[in-house]
Amino acid sequence: MTLSDVKVNAEYVITQVKGSVKRRLLDMGFTPGCKIKVSGLAPFGGTVLVRIRGFDVALRKNATDFITVEAV
Amino acid sequence: MNYTFALTGNPNVGKTSLYNRLTRSSRHVGNWHGVTVDKASKKASYDQNEINIVDLPGFYSLTVYSFEEEISRDDILSGNNNLVINICEASNLPRNLYLALQLLELNVPVMIVINMMDELHKRGLTIDVKKLEKHLCIPVVSVSAKYGFNGNDLLSGAVAYAQEFKTNRVKLPYLSKLPLKKVQEIISPNLTKSGLNPIYASIKVLENDSFVIDKLELSDKQKSQLNSLGDYQATVAKLRYEFIDQITDGVIVNREGTKKTGKLNASIADNADKIMLNKWLALPIFLLIMSGIFWITFGFVGKFLTDLLDGGKDVLVTWVNGGLDSLNVPEWMNALISYGIIDGVGGVIVFLPQIVILFFFLALLEDSGYISRVAFMTDGLFRKIGLSGRAVFTMIMGLGCSATAVLTARGLEDPLMRKKTVILTPFMSCSARLPVYTAIAAAFFTSGSVAIIFGLYFLGAVTVVILAAIFQKTSLKSGESSFIMEMPKYRMPTAERVLQIIGNNAKVFIIKVGTLVFALNVIVWVLCNFSITKGFVPVGGGESIMEKISALIAPIFAPLGFGNWQAVTALMSGLVAKEVVISTITSLGGVENVFPDSLAAICFMVYTLLYVPCVATLGAVRKEVGVKWMIFGLILQLAVAYLAALAVRIIVLAFISGLLHGIIVLGAVTAATMILTAILGLMNINKRRCVRCKANCSSCK
Repeated sequence: MTLSDVKVNAEYVITQVKGSVKRRLLDMGFTPGCKIKVSGLAPFGGTVLVRIRGFDVALRKNATDFITVEAV
Repeated sequence: MNYTFALTGNPNVGKTSLYNRLTRSSRHVGNWHGVTVDKASKKASYDQNEINIVDLPGFYSLTVYSFEEEISRDDILSGNNNLVINICEASNLPRNLYLALQLLELNVPVMIVINMMDELHKRGLTIDVKKLEKHLCIPVVSVSAKYGFNGNDLLSGAVAYAQEFKTNRVKLPYLSKLPLKKVQEIISPNLTKSGLNPIYASIKVLENDSFVIDKLELSDKQKSQLNSLGDYQATVAKLRYEFIDQITDGVIVNREGTKKTGKLNASIADNADKIMLNKWLALPIFLLIMSGIFWITFGFVGKFLTDLLDGGKDVLVTWVNGGLDSLNVPEWMNALISYGIIDGVGGVIVFLPQIVILFFFLALLEDSGYISRVAFMTDGLFRKIGLSGRAVFTMIMGLGCSATAVLTARGLEDPLMRKKTVILTPFMSCSARLPVYTAIAAAFFTSGSVAIIFGLYFLGAVTVVILAAIFQKTSLKSGESSFIMEMPKYRMPTAERVLQIIGNNAKVFIIKVGTLVFALNVIVWVLCNFSITKGFVPVGGGESIMEKISALIAPIFAPLGFGNWQAVTALMSGLVAKEVVISTITSLGGVENVFPDSLAAICFMVYTLLYVPCVATLGAVRKEVGVKWMIFGLILQLAVAYLAALAVRIIVLAFISGLLHGIIVLGAVTAATMILTAILGLMNINKRRCVRCKANCSSCK
């Protein structure tokens, strides 16, 4: 499953990162094997707030579609 | 001795705050990403050394994504710096060290300053700085720039290190897990010409960094050789973070004297988002906060203070007028001083309390970190009209001053979206227009003035949304762009910063009034009261220069209800600064005399809300998006202002002149809306059509 299909307050582990913003995501810490937690989902859809390595990042669908995760 | 030190680090770690302290500057700061968008430098002295401190926009890695990040990368690569001071956020050390590792890979002289220690201390933790120094073999210092720190200590350590630096001695063990030798063999013919450090270039090539790859000017053969090595992008990042996990192990420790707890002592700030971004509470909280700001600024506190000053001003005008009269001062000079200057300029000064309060709340929104939450919540909506949640920053800053707001749009990723945001921001009512509304609304709508003012602000925002939506249906359509936005921690500004904000804005306002508004008022007064041939001709007789010019233009505005020369003169003077609109009106007879009725007053306020911004904003717009777009914006603003004011007038007249007319207009508007919605709906249905069966089914997915 991708980061687009997640539930709030659930924890996941990243398995793969693809796409045009792959470099940016990797640099910000979205590396395979990294544990994350979903802090929130935006009210009008499509944007996910993720807690990763101690900080929060908001990502749109065109980024989360390319991050594959597994439930922990 | 002369040195150059660059301040670098992730966005929002305190580089600019530190810069301001070291160089006694006051560059703009705020608790969100993208505040600093350009490079600045200023000299600081320490012990007979002159140190050029360079403030750079924040970035996460030497592989960059936006224009401001390029500025930082180019500065670091330039080799002009005797020392790169890498500022890291204490509560976010792992991600911050990612950039530090890249600086070490590049082998530039680098020193780490860990900032915001106070936030870590609040959680009962601290950092074992010596341990980190040992791991990285570079100086590491911990500070809290917000709460008084010793700049001299920092500079003395920095200068000492810059003097003795030869090369970085740290061993980065993860580098041996990368095929760097093979890469260097492939790219070595191109290295000298590119001027790049070989290790840095090799790693960047493995990371697929387009800047480095382009600079090396690799041949297709070289590129395919590199491709055959495999995709190392994820590996490089993973290895760096694994190394970071190793070196930070045991670096964040419990503070002495605090109880050892199993979990972190989470502060309120950490958990605030559970409420602020809660599915049900987020929007009501936002509306509550915005209305609270409005009521305090334009209602209770602000209005009360403004009325107080206003009363004082009236007393002063009468007193001066009488006094000058009894001193037999010539009539024209008396009028110039009493009405042109004191009444006119004073009419703007009385708004100082409201302006100050407004800027205070804007700064609070910025500094607390809440504004990023607003961007997160509204991103979905903004995308539907071709903008981004990050445009919220620019728009909200536009409530203070459009000129400075426009500059913050530089951080927006997509060029077309940035241009649209810049053009649309002036429609958000800036604080300089506030005196115009307040004075006019107070004269014509004593009880409902706050509602009218709120309505105008609302109209500004609605105009932005409608125009953005229209752009999306034309060739100015924005595609999907990526959006990766870090949420800053919630922070409270210090009392010192609050006073600094209030003081700064009050100062800027008073200077603007004391110079621009004053000068313009005198000029306008003279043009209105003197004729080329006849000398002093008291205004109202139609003889003066300005009356003659405006008389030519005024008929254009007749359909809007304020086709008189005073209103036109006021609008023209507003090109320089919006506050002058009201001071001009005051010195030309006052609000009651310029507008025949309350409808004309409303239409005038709508026009003032939407028409061209002041020249300072036009200059900023030109700087950010170029002349062509600035002119497009100008024409758009004039057209929209005119049409909106006209529409308001027609609708209200229709309602007033009878129920039948009201029903017809209402019917027409409703029909138009339904047709428009139907058209848009059809266009949407078109988009959702299934690719396989070409019908609007939901069965195959």
